[in-house]
Amino acid sequence: MLDKEILVVDDERDLRMMIRSIFDSAGYKQVTTVASGEDALPLIAKKTPGIVILDVMLPGMDGFELLQEIRAISNVPVLMLTARGEAEDRLDGFELGADDYLVKPFLPQELLLRVQAILKRAYPEKGRIVRLAASSVDLGRAEVIKAGRRIPLTAKEYSILEKLADNAGRIVTIGVLCQTLCGDIWQGYETTLMTHIRHLREKIEDNPSKPVSLLTVKGLGYKLVLKEPEQ
Amino acid sequence: MKPAERFFRKYFLAMVGIILLFLSLNAGLLCSVLLWAWDSSNESEISIYAVRDGVAVDSAGNLTTADGLEEQLRENQSWAMLLDEAGDVIWEERLPEELPRHYTPTDVAKFSRWYLKDYPVFVLEHPAGLLVVGAAKNSFVKYYLTYKEPYIRIILAGFTVMVAVNLIAVVLLIWWNMRRVEKAVAPILRGIATVSAGQPVNLPERGELAEINRQLNQAGAFIVKKDGARADWISGVSHDVRTPLSVILGFAGQLEDDQSLPAYAREQAGRIRKQSEKLRSLVADLNLASRLEYAMQPLRLGPVYLVELARQVVCEFLDGGLEEQYEIEFCADQKSEFVSIPGDETLLKRALGNLIQNSIVHNPQGCRIAVSVLCGENCVRVEVADDGVGVAAEKLKQLAVGGRRLESTDERLNLRHGLGVLLVRQIIAAHNGTVAMASEPQKGFKTTLTFPCPVELRRN
Repeated sequence: MLDKEILVVDDERDLRMMIRSIFDSAGYKQVTTVASGEDALPLIAKKTPGIVILDVMLPGMDGFELLQEIRAISNVPVLMLTARGEAEDRLDGFELGADDYLVKPFLPQELLLRVQAILKRAYPEKGRIVRLAASSVDLGRAEVIKAGRRIPLTAKEYSILEKLADNAGRIVTIGVLCQTLCGDIWQGYETTLMTHIRHLREKIEDNPSKPVSLLTVKGLGYKLVLKEPEQ
Repeated sequence: MKPAERFFRKYFLAMVGIILLFLSLNAGLLCSVLLWAWDSSNESEISIYAVRDGVAVDSAGNLTTADGLEEQLRENQSWAMLLDEAGDVIWEERLPEELPRHYTPTDVAKFSRWYLKDYPVFVLEHPAGLLVVGAAKNSFVKYYLTYKEPYIRIILAGFTVMVAVNLIAVVLLIWWNMRRVEKAVAPILRGIATVSAGQPVNLPERGELAEINRQLNQAGAFIVKKDGARADWISGVSHDVRTPLSVILGFAGQLEDDQSLPAYAREQAGRIRKQSEKLRSLVADLNLASRLEYAMQPLRLGPVYLVELARQVVCEFLDGGLEEQYEIEFCADQKSEFVSIPGDETLLKRALGNLIQNSIVHNPQGCRIAVSVLCGENCVRVEVADDGVGVAAEKLKQLAVGGRRLESTDERLNLRHGLGVLLVRQIIAAHNGTVAMASEPQKGFKTTLTFPCPVELRRN
């Protein structure tokens, strides 16, 4: 992920500097910044970046117009920086094909998380391995590796675990998980979800009745805790 | 009933009252005049009964006159005589010389009805015959009314009907007139109500009250223009603040995480970051509040499952690095999982987030916050309760009655608390919900949002 090129389009010099320094310190190696849409288009046409971060308020061609131009030539993921309300006013951001938008002002962490999520979606990792306290999950093959044994995951278990892994370290609400499980009409499937969670724990935890990786947050949802990388 | 309607009802009743008062006053005056006249005519009149009692007859047929009768008659310039069956005068007192001493039945019939040689006379049966008392000439007017019975009945009934019709007509006329005034004034009253709600008015500028309507239209347009200018101004300022704030937040956040810096510098950076975040939410709240107030923020309605929405809001707090002195609990009843309301998810999240944030901001020493979603009778409630410092009754009252407009700053120009609550109130009102607050000092603060008519999902 860290080798993807990030193209930042913003007319404010300080903001460009700040965004560049956020990605630099997060370890991203290629960050390019330009001040206007007119400068950005030729760059994108020449070599498609990994992701474009686009300010809506730009002199000359505004962010939405630029987005349309970009979409005409490329499918590159786009994150829009907007003022609150602007994106909603012209909803439009999504219809025009923005992958996500972030409201200004934002915290460095928020920007990083959004970009990471978009990159993960846009460039799915092959053979992704999720490391947990008592086991590893090979998402590419839908298998749990615990104590040297490979345990297959059912389709439902896989989709739940994938959702949790995508949001590792954060709580995924019961509603979101049920929706992953059952689609649009998800209300009232909490017991079904609990059954799947119990089965998952049997597969990934050392002691399923005292889980350390797949945690319950009472009334709210579940959280997948990854194994701290050894330093 | 609206105040204006009440006013017109009162006005109408007052008019009817005035008319009734007027009628009874007249009746009273008429009675007084009659009584007065009766009184004054009584003063100089001798009663025929007194004369009859003054002339006694014994068993032998002898007549005796009481003492003082003659004097009384003189005082009243009257005279009296007694006729026997044959028409002869058998007793007399002050009887004028010009009058005969014998009367035929024809004479009796004539004078008993009219006059006796211009003397008004009165007759009364006496044990000894017929008593005739005469008064001075021109001292009485005698009329004899004789009508056929149906005539009198019709006159009386007609008179009653006439009075009734008059009364009804007067009442109806007043009513009609009042309705007319009410109709003419109604648009103006509606206009005033609209203007006071800060909305534009458009009253027809014609008729007798055209001038007033025109002025109201102007007032409405002026207010809307001013409000719009203010909303634009707030929106512009908050927009311009965004980029600098992004830069401050971004660099402060990076400095805070920079392991190569000394601990105190990172802590200072952290403080800058926290204050900037406060500024960020203030600017966002201010902008949204002003947009909601001037209805510049369209609601994007969709089915919102409040349980899931509340879960997501609580999770954002828990994931967003909630400091350890705070604890958030969540609970929901079984049924509420299935009910949704038509709502704007972003705005509702914002309202709920604001309530939780308020509990955090006002309890720096830490507190436990309980968020619950409960189904009630044809409503769904979201409660946010903390066990923190709470507020005094006075402050609670201020918060509870606090307006829905962006006008409240306290004496220290401290809008923060008010703004958060204001925004919640606006958002909930836009969803036809209600906000109730309860608190006691040191016993926590509880806000209950109630939304009417949730839609229940029926799963097959």
